[in-house]
Amino acid sequence: MTVTSLQEVADGYRQPRSLGNPILDLNPITTLCVIVALIVTGIALGGWVPSLAVCLLFMVAAVVAGRGRTYLPLILKLWLGVGLILFLLRALLTPGHVLIPLGRIAVTTEGIEQGLAFACVVMAICGGVTLFFEFVPMRHLTLALERLGVSPQASYVLLASFQAITDLGATAKVVLEAQTARGVETEGNVFMRVRAFFPVLAPVFLSAMAATEERAIALDARAFNSSTRHTSLVELRRTRRWEPVLAVALGVIAVGVIVGRALGWF
Amino acid sequence: MVLAELQDVHFTYAYADTPALKGVTLTLEQGMLHGIVGLNSSGKTTLCGLLRGIVPSFHHGELTGRTTILGRELADWNPDELATTIGCVFDNPFTQISGIRDTVFEEIAFGLENLGVAREDIITRVIQVIEQLGIEALAEKNPNELSGGQRQKVAFASIIAMDSDVIVIDEPTSQLDPEASEAVFEIIAGLKKLGKSIVLVEHKIDLVAEYADTVTVLHEGRVALTGTTREVLTDPRLRSFGVTPPQVTELAERLAASGRPLSRVPVTRAEAVELIGERMREEVGGGYRTA
Ligand SMILES: Nc1ncnc2c1ncn2[C@@H]1O[C@H](COP(=O)(O)OP(=O)(O)OP(=O)(O)O)[C@@H](O)[C@H]1O
Ligand SMILES: [Mg+2]
Repeated sequence: MTVTSLQEVADGYRQPRSLGNPILDLNPITTLCVIVALIVTGIALGGWVPSLAVCLLFMVAAVVAGRGRTYLPLILKLWLGVGLILFLLRALLTPGHVLIPLGRIAVTTEGIEQGLAFACVVMAICGGVTLFFEFVPMRHLTLALERLGVSPQASYVLLASFQAITDLGATAKVVLEAQTARGVETEGNVFMRVRAFFPVLAPVFLSAMAATEERAIALDARAFNSSTRHTSLVELRRTRRWEPVLAVALGVIAVGVIVGRALGWF
Repeated sequence: MVLAELQDVHFTYAYADTPALKGVTLTLEQGMLHGIVGLNSSGKTTLCGLLRGIVPSFHHGELTGRTTILGRELADWNPDELATTIGCVFDNPFTQISGIRDTVFEEIAFGLENLGVAREDIITRVIQVIEQLGIEALAEKNPNELSGGQRQKVAFASIIAMDSDVIVIDEPTSQLDPEASEAVFEIIAGLKKLGKSIVLVEHKIDLVAEYADTVTVLHEGRVALTGTTREVLTDPRLRSFGVTPPQVTELAERLAASGRPLSRVPVTRAEAVELIGERMREEVGGGYRTA
């Protein structure tokens, strides 16, 4: 790398962070509020149509924000792996008006309705959570939280937990490979895999625990515990004025729908 | 001012049966590179911890005797202040970085952020350190995806960025290959040139001989030998404490044993090259002397 490009890297920090489009550049808290409000509204309206609409809305948002290529395949997998199973379980096991008898169990009209509603609700939640992590880098979330007064220690816990998940995955893979190399059966059916996995957990967790103490000392050496107000190299964009308005408006709608349903207005 | 003065220091880790330090008396001057050597579990890391204040504030235990750091008693130091006055880099490259930053540039900036330094000053300082260590190519990399040697360089960069006058370094190269070790030692030599005081624990005695001003040998929690690098590394008792002298010193010992001593016992390679060159010129010029 040449000197100019080090300057370029440095220049990147001189401006507020942008992920390249207005949706991704929303304040992470706005994104969080909007997603939660949409999920709550969808569920509170009842039935499968509103929840499904929310799911579709999330997909559209992902595509518009340029994250469709990663979000859509993931959501498809979730629909097949979670949504479909939940639907089938409900459809087959709910007693009621029999549509298709299948021996001792049967597909019922009530089953289909409840299954659809249940699957759509769960998928709206899954879709929202996935969308949030697709849109918001953890680091941006913690920066936004710190701006609201959350302590750097709390941010650390959040960031480190996410890093730990990545690291544990990587260590587990290494240990699994080592065990395969030693002739321990790690492939095969689910039972085999689970059995192979348990002995992996001990070394994985032990090494993570041992590292914690040294990490704490290393952080201390970097003045992490200093009582001065920490500054930040990375700067988030200024939150646009209409963002809190949007978040609050959607929140009010969500609460309104809940109250309305409770009072039997619709 | 003296960097550190220890008087009859004893330390026993909580839950340990035997003391890790048993009556250590030692004076370390400022502006020098102090090498600490000794067998495993002789107390080297414990000594580093003491200088850095993590013994006894983080690793609890029973501490007696007097420890004075930069003219102030250890107990009178505010732990946060000590943490930034005395930088440290330990052996495990995987635990030396914060683990919560996305690029090396941000990782090096982390300590400065914690000290509340303004953004523009952070950027200037980080650029300076990156150029000083020649790690421009790593600037944009994810620190969690680096090799051990690269991580160790980043750990050094991060500590150097904070510009403490004293740096305690515990076996920085124990997990690195020879090439990466050499690079780390060049960094350490650079720090010495900048006038930093350095306490360095290192098993590779040839490197200690090359870079250290003084050497202290710890043995079973006691100071077995301490003095200038030459005094200690040519001390006949060195081996009895489990420390092998540098290769060139051993070579000179063998020559002396065979009755053909060099004019002086070398401890560094450069010295050996010079002394042996001298000897060869003598022998070529004056013919072979008989012993
Ligand atoms: N955290 C701890 N808790 C209890 N005992 C400890 C702890 N750390 C070290 N010890 C003990 O203190 C003694 C000195 O250990 P220390 O780590 O200082 O040795 P060392 O010279 O650094 O060894 P090495 O060359 O292996 O790094 C050892 O007997 C060790 O078992
Ligand atoms: Mg040690």
